[in-house]
Amino acid sequence: MTTLLTNSVLDRLQRLRIRPAGKRTSRSRGEHLSGKGGTSTEFCDYRDYTPGDDTRFVDWNIFARLHRPYLKQFHKEEERHVVLLIDASASMKFEGKLNLAKPLAAAFGMMGLLNNERVSAYASHQAGDAPDRLPPCRGRASLRTMFQFIESVEGRGDATLDRAVEMLLRHHSGRGVCVIVSDFLTFGDLKRSFNMLYAAGLEPLGVQILSPQEIEPDVTSDLRLVDSETQETLDISSSADLLNLYQEYRHGLENDLALLCRRRSGRFLPVSSVTPVESVLFDQLRRRGWIE
Amino acid sequence: MDRMNWGGFQALSHLWLLSLLAPLVLFYFLKLKRPRAEIPSLVLWRQVLQDHRVNSPFQKFKRNLLLLLQILLLLFLVLAALQPFWRGGPGKHRRLPVLVDCSASMGALDKPGGISRLAEAKRRVREMIDGLSSDQELCLISFDNTPRKLTGFTNNKRLLRDALDQIETADVPSDLEQALRLVQALGRSEPFDEVLLFSDGNFPPRVNFDLSFKLNYQRLSPAGPNLGITALSGQRAATSGWDVFVQIEGSADAEGNAAVELFQDGNSMASERITVARGRAQRMVFQTKGDRAASLRVQLTPDGFDSLAADNTAYLDLPESRPLRVFVPKSLVSYRRALQGIQGIQLFPQETSDEASGAFDLVMSDRPQDMDITARTRLSVGFIPPELQRYIEPGTNGSSVVDWRRDAPVLQHVELADLVVLDQPRYAANAGEGDLENLGYEVLIHGQHGPLLVRKQDSDALRFALLFHSDRSTLPYRVGFPIFVANVVQAALEQAGLAEALANRTGVLPPLTLAPQGRYQIQTPGQTVESVTADDHGIVSGVAAPQAGYYSVLENGALRRRAGASLLSPSETALAGVAQIEFNEQLQVAAATAVVKTDWPLWPALLLVALGVMLVEWWFFQKKPGGWK
Repeated sequence: MTTLLTNSVLDRLQRLRIRPAGKRTSRSRGEHLSGKGGTSTEFCDYRDYTPGDDTRFVDWNIFARLHRPYLKQFHKEEERHVVLLIDASASMKFEGKLNLAKPLAAAFGMMGLLNNERVSAYASHQAGDAPDRLPPCRGRASLRTMFQFIESVEGRGDATLDRAVEMLLRHHSGRGVCVIVSDFLTFGDLKRSFNMLYAAGLEPLGVQILSPQEIEPDVTSDLRLVDSETQETLDISSSADLLNLYQEYRHGLENDLALLCRRRSGRFLPVSSVTPVESVLFDQLRRRGWIE
Repeated sequence: MDRMNWGGFQALSHLWLLSLLAPLVLFYFLKLKRPRAEIPSLVLWRQVLQDHRVNSPFQKFKRNLLLLLQILLLLFLVLAALQPFWRGGPGKHRRLPVLVDCSASMGALDKPGGISRLAEAKRRVREMIDGLSSDQELCLISFDNTPRKLTGFTNNKRLLRDALDQIETADVPSDLEQALRLVQALGRSEPFDEVLLFSDGNFPPRVNFDLSFKLNYQRLSPAGPNLGITALSGQRAATSGWDVFVQIEGSADAEGNAAVELFQDGNSMASERITVARGRAQRMVFQTKGDRAASLRVQLTPDGFDSLAADNTAYLDLPESRPLRVFVPKSLVSYRRALQGIQGIQLFPQETSDEASGAFDLVMSDRPQDMDITARTRLSVGFIPPELQRYIEPGTNGSSVVDWRRDAPVLQHVELADLVVLDQPRYAANAGEGDLENLGYEVLIHGQHGPLLVRKQDSDALRFALLFHSDRSTLPYRVGFPIFVANVVQAALEQAGLAEALANRTGVLPPLTLAPQGRYQIQTPGQTVESVTADDHGIVSGVAAPQAGYYSVLENGALRRRAGASLLSPSETALAGVAQIEFNEQLQVAAATAVVKTDWPLWPALLLVALGVMLVEWWFFQKKPGGWK
């Protein structure tokens, strides 16, 4: 069906679903039970009748025994939206970062579609341009379309994540989760972007993919570093102190991102680009409760 | 600056090298081309570099550490090029002659596998050369039995080192007096105040020299125990063979067992084991046949450590033991009769024949014409040799013996008192003993008016002249007459080399008798070859023999003759070193207790520091930073 995931992974994914930290669903009817009462067939609770209530929901059997009216309540099943945002800038081409980002996004999308959720996908390339977009779709029938969209994503451009989120929200409507697969190495203001996501009813699920060179830079001499996206340069002189500071800042970025997500009912996971997708899905994500 | 007491620079002119700092800094910034490395994003790196800790002064310093280290490296190199030195002592001399003893004892080792005394001296002199400043000059002089000026006063270190490397031990005793005289002569043209002497002190404690400069006597540490051959000679034995005498001595602390082996013409003839007690000599005798000339080698092999190898081998050339050919005319009956009682003599003419031809070893005759017979020893009886006739006149008034040289070998045990002489040889007018001495004669018996017996030793002949006829005296009737004749025979034996053979000592070989005007090559024990030419008499003299061993005389590559030279010096074998040298006018010089303080060159240390800086630079910037904690 797709080259992004193996059949065994696809088979295991069919039995899994995304487990958001909060219940963020759309008003549209769906398969996710809302906290509010609804009109589904699943009984939820009783409450005292108050004048004005719809008498159709009075439990007449209880009224006959107790001579007091009680109102039956039912769960409300709402639709949840799964938004996939793939950072497809040039920086993601390094050391298989995009090669891990695409299967992960596909896995999240597949879990959404198989659980009757609305899934839309965005791939950001060039700053200022609207990201490539897969319109919201749902159902098993949309799997192929989603896989084709994700397979066609190529790394290029200098898109920044904050700009990509802004462009995403211009087209998006509905509550749910926003799975952001990126290296999160952006000069933009991610706090604003995450606030915007939160305000739009999207729970941010950040997956940071860094290459081994980014996790443990092998800098052994004086170097002129070139940014793959902007072609800007930066001269550094190798020293242990410098590398220690780098690690300090990298861990600081991870903590900031985790805090940004957590404060917005989201989650954050940093992974290495060389980690197998099976390990990320069925080990790390499942162990952290992202999927169940 | 280089006059400061604590030190200075030997090559201050190299200060211009500091100008290299400018191109160094220039090229550093021009050449600083960093390799480009494309990374996904500069986000983190920008944040890192904007950190105040990266921009702290120390971190800025570290960023330019490469340049600073290179500047430091250049400064150290320039400083090393200036050749700084630490002044060794306050008393520095501008000119300093250095005497290095290279006699045989300087080849003695201090311990098994150790270094020789000469090597120790050369090490210390080399240190001086290394620390030589530009205002100092050394003059290297080596000396054994003769001094050699190796260099003039110079501060050319390469020249001095080369000259120092050329110094090798010679198997001869040292002669300090000659060396000091050379230094004294040197001081007339190039004055100096002090002379440095490196020696083990193996020379006589008294030196006949008027010391006119300060002598710094650097006595080297004593060598280890040593045993050696100090005497080797052959005595004619009664059985027409030779008795070979060997004497073994040792240094003051030497004792132990040793093997002594005698080789004749390369073949081992005899071997003995000896035990040498401390301070005692060991003597032994070997017997050899005398039927032909032989070349003997005596090898001493101590059981324990022996510090000096040069005295462990001695060489002795023995001539063929043959009868002494003596010519005495039948008219000298008394002499012929006295000779008949002496063994090992062939007397000519024989009683039954008048035939007497060929060369003789001894001619005794009262006929002047017989003095033309070829012989190494002659005794003229009863007439005055022609060359003395100007100074001595014959007379017939009779004479008597006034005095005689009792220590002369030919007159040993000969009592001449009351000898009656009818002849009267007397000095001519205005002539005296001095005239005879000018001609090379020595008066052995003084008569009332003139000499009665004179002796003359030429290079190849010995001449006695009895200026009165013994038949006209009571000499033949004296007990001492046969003794006198026997002494003359003994002198003739010695002159002919038939009585005793002494081993040649190193230094100069004895005259070699070869073909007149012949051209030869002398091959030394060190396999060097020296060309020599024999004189009109076929004598080759003055052949230097500084090393113990065989000296081969080659003619067109063919071996003509071989002569051995041996150290045979009790003083060199004893390895004794004097702690104090006494000069004329009771001037004494004691061995210095402190070694010579040389200037301490700092440039090697600076080069090492520069190397260290370079290694730090390499390590700091090339080593993986993970290792830099």
